[in-house]
Order: sequence, then C-alpha cells, then structure tokens
Amino acid sequence: MALAVRPRFRFEPYVEFGKKAIAREATYRFEVFTSIGSFVLRMYLLRMVWVALYAHNAAPRGLPLHAILTYSAVALLMGLVLDIDQVSSLYDKLHDGSIVSDFMRPILVPLYFFADGTGEVLFHAALVLPALALALLIVHIDVPSATTLATFALSFVLGYFVGFCINFILNCVAFWTLEINAVQLIVTFLTDLLGGELVPLIFFPLAFQHVLFALPFAAMFSTPLLIYVGEIGPDRYASALGIQAAWLVGLAIVCVVLWRAGSRRIVVQGG
Amino acid sequence: MRAVYGQHWRINLLTALEYRENFLLWSAFTVVYHGTAIATLWVVLHTFPSMNGWDFKDMAFLYGLWMLAHAIHDTVFFGVANVPEYIRDGEFDRLLVRPLDTLFAVIAIPGQIFPDELILALGYFVVATVYSGVRVDAIFVLCVPLVVLGGTLIELAINLIVATIAFWFVRVDALRWIVLQLEQEFTRYPIGIYSRGVRLFLTFVFPFAFMNYFPATYFLHKSEGALGLPPVVGLLTPAVGLIFFGAAYVFWRFGLNRYKGVGH
Repeated sequence: MALAVRPRFRFEPYVEFGKKAIAREATYRFEVFTSIGSFVLRMYLLRMVWVALYAHNAAPRGLPLHAILTYSAVALLMGLVLDIDQVSSLYDKLHDGSIVSDFMRPILVPLYFFADGTGEVLFHAALVLPALALALLIVHIDVPSATTLATFALSFVLGYFVGFCINFILNCVAFWTLEINAVQLIVTFLTDLLGGELVPLIFFPLAFQHVLFALPFAAMFSTPLLIYVGEIGPDRYASALGIQAAWLVGLAIVCVVLWRAGSRRIVVQGG
Repeated sequence: MRAVYGQHWRINLLTALEYRENFLLWSAFTVVYHGTAIATLWVVLHTFPSMNGWDFKDMAFLYGLWMLAHAIHDTVFFGVANVPEYIRDGEFDRLLVRPLDTLFAVIAIPGQIFPDELILALGYFVVATVYSGVRVDAIFVLCVPLVVLGGTLIELAINLIVATIAFWFVRVDALRWIVLQLEQEFTRYPIGIYSRGVRLFLTFVFPFAFMNYFPATYFLHKSEGALGLPPVVGLLTPAVGLIFFGAAYVFWRFGLNRYKGVGH
C-alpha cells in the first residue's frame, strides 16, 4: 500500500535487474573456483609472513599475532566483496554502444547500474561462507563483542558504498576516454596498499598515516578492519564513521556531476 | 628469421607510438605495480626489521633479481601466454603452416609490447644492487646475466607448459592465472618462511626459488639456505633454467604433434 502512493517510481524492476545479475554471475563457475583458490593461497601466504615476522621481532603495540592474523583474514574476506568492479557493465556498454538502448528504457539508468552491481556483489558475497570455512582451517579468527561487530558491519556497509562510488567514477571516465583498464588497475593496486588491505595502515611511518587516514581508500578497508580488531575503540567510533560518511557524500556528489556531464556528451563509435 | 623478428619489434614500437596515451597509462601501471610491491616490503620491514634474518636491503635485492628475469620474459616471450587464445579462435592453425618454427612464430607475433618494464627493471636492479651493498666483483658481473637469463627460462618454461596443456583443454585461464599468482607471491619473500613441503615444491617442482631466492642467498652471503643446501647452488640457476625449459619444450613438441585443432 505504501508503495502505491508513489505513482511514477517503481522499485520492482530494479530488484529484477539485481536477480538477473546474480543469475549471470552464477554462469561463470570457473571464476568462483579461481577466487576461492586465490583466497586460500593468499591466506596461507599471509599466515606464513606474519608468523615469520612476529617470531623474529618485537610485536608492535596493540596488535599481537592473533590480532594481525584476524585482521588479514577479515581483510581477505572483505576483499571478496569489495574488490569487485560492480559498475564494469557501464564501461562495457559505453564500449560497444549498447548504452544507447538503456537511455531509451523507462528506467533511471544509474539506478539500473546500482541494482545490477548489487546483484553481482550479492552473488560473490555468498562465497564468503565457504571462504570463511577454509580460512578457519588456516588461521584462528578472533570474534569481538556484539557492539564492535555491529559497528564493524555499519562501517563495512559505508566502505562498500565508498567503493561503489569510486568504481562508478572510474567507469564514468569512459564517457570521455573510452579506455579505462590501465587507470582501473592503477587504482586497484593503490587501494590494496593505501587502503590497508595488505598491511594495516598503523604500520606505516607516522607522517604517512596522517595522509593515508584522510584518503577515501582508508574508508573502504582500513576503518572497518581497525574497528574489528579494536584498534579503533568505542570512543572513536563516531569520528571514524563520520569520516567514512563524509567521503561517501563527497564521492556521491562527484558521481552525480560526472554522470550528468557524461550522459550529455555520449559518443557511440559506429555500430 | 632475424628479419622477421626485426619487423616484430618495428611493429611493436610503432603501435606504442600510435596509441600514445594508452601506452603511457600502461607504463604508469607498470610503475605502480612494482612500486606498490616494493613499498609493501618497505612498510612491513619498517615495523619488523627482520624476516628470518633478511632486512629491507636484502629484500630489495631479492625483488630486483626476480623483476629483471620477469621483465625480460614479459618483453620477449609474452606471446606464449596468448597461445590458448590463438587455439580457441583458430588463429593457431595459421601459425602451423608457416615455414618457421611454430614457437618462434608465436613469439614473433607483434602485440603492443614496449620494453618499458625492462628499462624500469634494469634501472631498479642497479639501484637495488648499490643500495643492498652487494659486492660487485668479477663473479657478480659474470654470473648475474646468466642467473637472470636462467630465471627468464624458468618463467618461460612454466608458461610453455600451461600453453601446451591448452592443446588438450582449450580453456586454461584458471590454471594460468593460478600459476602466475604462485610465481608472483612465492618469489617475494625468502622461502625459509614456508613449510618444508612448500620449500621442496618451489625448489624441485616449480623451481621459482631459483629465479631469485637461491642466487640472492649466494650474492648476499646468507648462511641460511632453505633445505640445508649450500648458498652456491644459487649459481646453478642457468642450468636449472635450461633443464626446465628443455623439459617444457619436449612437452610442447609432444603436444604440438598431437594437436588436431578445435574444429574451425
């Protein structure tokens, strides 16, 4: 009943787009195999690296071995969801020109990409469970208190949307350049390092930390992870989530501006 | 043969000049790829000064040895990685009827290859050698080029094996990808940190440890050699490369003789 009050906008088509995306992803079975395989390999590797490092050096303040192994395991599990470019269909459609037909459909095109991307991500999120089971064979993962877990979940969702905006912006660049693969890979590798996915940002020299914590990459990975392992305590929850939300708002504005400008100057090559 | 290969490079360089922005972006990615890897090592060893007795200077040299061998492979032999794709769309059958050796024909297909990674790797290797304080004597000057070429052969052999498997199982993307990742990840740290089984695997099955770990233990005068082998085995890399590549080439010829096409 409540939905019927809005005559023009209907939510259902977008749910369908999401379901379609899930079905599409499920057909690429070998990708599932490789992402799980890569996950196990990296989990083993990180365990070996951290164990060797902690065996020969004094443990840094606040992060004993079990905490860093938990950090790495949760980071890799988050990566299964966050490392996906859920807006890549925008690039594909710009490249082959099929974006034109999307503009003719009675839908909000950006929302279509959001629904499509969410479906893709939900499918990959289902991999988290088997990956978690395998991870537990390799390392022990600490489970924090319910409050911490809830804050982590909230922070993770904010991080996911920040990641969505970054991917949306990168794919929008294709409105102008048509080629984005190299730029995208550059951003992916920078995110891995500067977002704290591989090495916690608190291991960087202090001068770097001031800059890194202010960047959007930290809002994707580092903030939820540091909340999970307790490095960001309850007294700093509000400010940590606040910075994430600020990045989300800022990047969302960039998305809107880029989308408006881009969709106005659409260029379709031949076809 | 030399003339064909010369043309291959002429086309490569012309392509790079034609798509200038794209070329510059991919070069930037090459810098970021190696830059983030080295920066990760630096950050980790800034907090933890020693990894099984290896400090950042040692690791910088270890990375440099791998990077050089890997860059030569990617610059000269990149075509081998495309074999599964050629088989899939029938392109490969055209190479079979050419008068030159098929493997050579594969390597001589022009792509958009520019030796930017090789130039970067050479520059980095010089810097890392000076920085790590390795003594540059006659043995070093004589052995490093051979060790690097041996490392290139090891990587080529692995890629050739994967390409050969594509004769039977057309789709080998997953396998290729896993092998690539194994190489990238397991050449980054001294192999002493892994369990004995993994160390044996990296020495005798996929001998990635000969690309950089064993030679680095020799040049850096490390007493620790994983598996209790003396550091001087590091100078065996050219031999290991030749043997491994020889075996891979025999397998390639075997596959080639049985290849029937995928039905185009």
